[in-house]
Amino acid sequence: MPLAPFKEAEALTMGVELELQLVNPTDFDLSSSASDMLHLLARGRFPGDVKPEMTESMIEVSTDVHTRHEALLAQLRQMRDALVAAGDRLNVGLCGGGTHPFQRWFHQRIFSKPRFKELSGLYGYLAKQFTVFGQHVHIGCGSADEGLYLLHSLNRYLPHFIALSASSPFFQGVDTLFDSARLNSVFAFPLSGRAPFLLKWEDFERGYFAKMEKTGVVNSMKDFYWDIRPKPEYGTIELRVCDTPLTVERAAALACYLQALCRMLLERSEAPPAEDDYLVYNYNRFQACRFGLDGMLVHPKTNESLPLREDILATLRRLEPHAAALESSAALDELYKVAAGEGNHASFLRRQHAEEGGVEGVVDAAVRCFREEVTA
Amino acid sequence: MPEALINLMGQVAWPLALAVAWLAGELGHRWLALPRISSYGIAGFLLAAGQAGVLPEVRGGAMALLANVAFGLILFELGYRINLAWLRANPWLGLTSVVESVCTFYAVFLVAQALGVPTLPALLLSALAMSTSPAAVLRVVNEARSSGQVTERTLHLSAFNCVLALVVFKAVVGYEMLSSAGGVFEAVWNSLVVVLVSAGLGALFGVAVPGLLRLLGGLARNATVVFALAVLLLTALTDALKFSPLLAALAFGLVARQRRVVLSQVQRNFGALGDLLTVLLFVYVGATLDWRQALAGAELALAVVAVRLLAKTLATTLFAQPSGISWRKGALTGLALTPLSAFAILLLEQTRHLKLDLLEDVAGVMAVALLLEVVGPLLTRWALVWAGETQRKEET
Repeated sequence: MPLAPFKEAEALTMGVELELQLVNPTDFDLSSSASDMLHLLARGRFPGDVKPEMTESMIEVSTDVHTRHEALLAQLRQMRDALVAAGDRLNVGLCGGGTHPFQRWFHQRIFSKPRFKELSGLYGYLAKQFTVFGQHVHIGCGSADEGLYLLHSLNRYLPHFIALSASSPFFQGVDTLFDSARLNSVFAFPLSGRAPFLLKWEDFERGYFAKMEKTGVVNSMKDFYWDIRPKPEYGTIELRVCDTPLTVERAAALACYLQALCRMLLERSEAPPAEDDYLVYNYNRFQACRFGLDGMLVHPKTNESLPLREDILATLRRLEPHAAALESSAALDELYKVAAGEGNHASFLRRQHAEEGGVEGVVDAAVRCFREEVTA
Repeated sequence: MPEALINLMGQVAWPLALAVAWLAGELGHRWLALPRISSYGIAGFLLAAGQAGVLPEVRGGAMALLANVAFGLILFELGYRINLAWLRANPWLGLTSVVESVCTFYAVFLVAQALGVPTLPALLLSALAMSTSPAAVLRVVNEARSSGQVTERTLHLSAFNCVLALVVFKAVVGYEMLSSAGGVFEAVWNSLVVVLVSAGLGALFGVAVPGLLRLLGGLARNATVVFALAVLLLTALTDALKFSPLLAALAFGLVARQRRVVLSQVQRNFGALGDLLTVLLFVYVGATLDWRQALAGAELALAVVAVRLLAKTLATTLFAQPSGISWRKGALTGLALTPLSAFAILLLEQTRHLKLDLLEDVAGVMAVALLLEVVGPLLTRWALVWAGETQRKEET
């Protein structure tokens, strides 16, 4: 199937997808309740879109297309309220967090849908290990080439999103010492990581995608698990490195950070992306996953080492005029608090673990965070 | 048979029966996809005094206490999995439970009367028929690793209808005491006080044990052993005081969960210890049944099984949509509630000291229990499979 033509979307529009955990409020283990939740939600009018994900213990919700922080946050809150109400009716808890702290991957059930069955057949146990939960942010692009330009220009900022959203320190019952253990699961997939360095859509379409398709390895863009990938049918690029945060407020803030960043990059005041930027890409990515906001970055252009936290704070300051223009200053304020003081959700979960003395308490806290609108 | 051999047989009868039952459970599970507990029950029944005669007469004594402990562990685990807040969030669930239990009670009572059962045994039979065997339901759920609305609702409704059944059962016993020889004091004692004190003792344990665990600190990994010991103590205590170990264990689990200070996952089935005691429980229950009584009550049994299934399924289906699930899942929940066995038999055992000896009076119960002992868990399993809530074969 050839690649769909890149739809021209309104630049800097945004949409958010959240993969959420369904947990049993008694033992806090994952609960195979996606079918039941979807059945109940389908009976009312859901303020957004909701669909199944790979395993029965996860669902994915997505917002409409937005341009402003306030409207995006309002819709995310409505969706959260509808989900929490449905969960209460079915005795199912919902929460964010990039991983479930202690679920056993081999107990997960693949959702009964042909594509998921097919993926399970191909990837075997990796499919069940993929019971991890991410936030995806779509940014609308005026043209396909603009999309590719943004996609590659963002390479240097990618660790920001990993560190700010990180909420998966625990995996299979233990502290992994990573702030985002989730991305390690994604990395196991053969078509994960970075997109090939191509800046022209035509080159991407004919020179790369068509060739890949001929090898029989891929059928559609969905088969790529890249950190950022183009989504031609929407006319967007899709950022996929974020863990699902514990609150929808944080999710909205991350989306607006990306929106403001793209606005700045489109001014073309920075040096254009180059293939060599990717020399430090995996290292920087690792630092953000492992140490979160305390990681160290290597600047791809200057090769200078700089603390990730400082880089985020500096970027937030540079984004101020863009946030003002996009009416998203409140969103950036929230991230400023995260980077400058209270830390990301991974550190919140670690504190909960220390206080409650167990991984069950971590899930309990995550469930409460999601429903109570507390700023964790 | 030489006397020495008979003596030897007497001594190894129970271990032998347990080994045979376990083996039957594994083979039945592998070849016929039978829930293991069905096979345990059949093995117990076949080896019992009334049948093959391998096992001695089982009533009373150490085995009854052990069976009670096994059942106590299961009830504790069930209680621990019950979320009372769900009743507040979804009142339809509570309504389903009440309607389901009341309909079962009336339907079974009418059928029993129609078939000529005298009023008192008919009332007791109806009370027992309200309950769904928590042991059977929990074991099948754990064995199939099922999860979803049919699973959750079956567990919750089973816990609720057991409590309702117990209360009604004790009320009937109290009424009987009142109207026969006994005085008001004895009647009240045997119904209200027994229920309240049993539940109270369980609740006390539910507060004290997690508190103790927290006090000792760092004991999350030992929670299973501590809870198991507490259930053992609670069962022995309530049994010795002639209260209800079953209600106490259930209340213990319920309160321990609501007041959870130790956020540790109680090991499912209480691990190997729970597995062993479950074999014993179901062999014991099977062994209390006598084929002659079962045969005599077969007609009543079939009728009760049919109306009970109908009443439960109707109620769960009726309230399925308003309570948030599909008609189909509602009907499957009713089907999954079929098992009745251990609970009824042990309850009747409990009343033996009242000299009512209802076990003989309600011969039909034996047959019902026998039938549902084998068929019940199988129906529960099918309901969970049909609801798509179990691990599918190709994925295991």
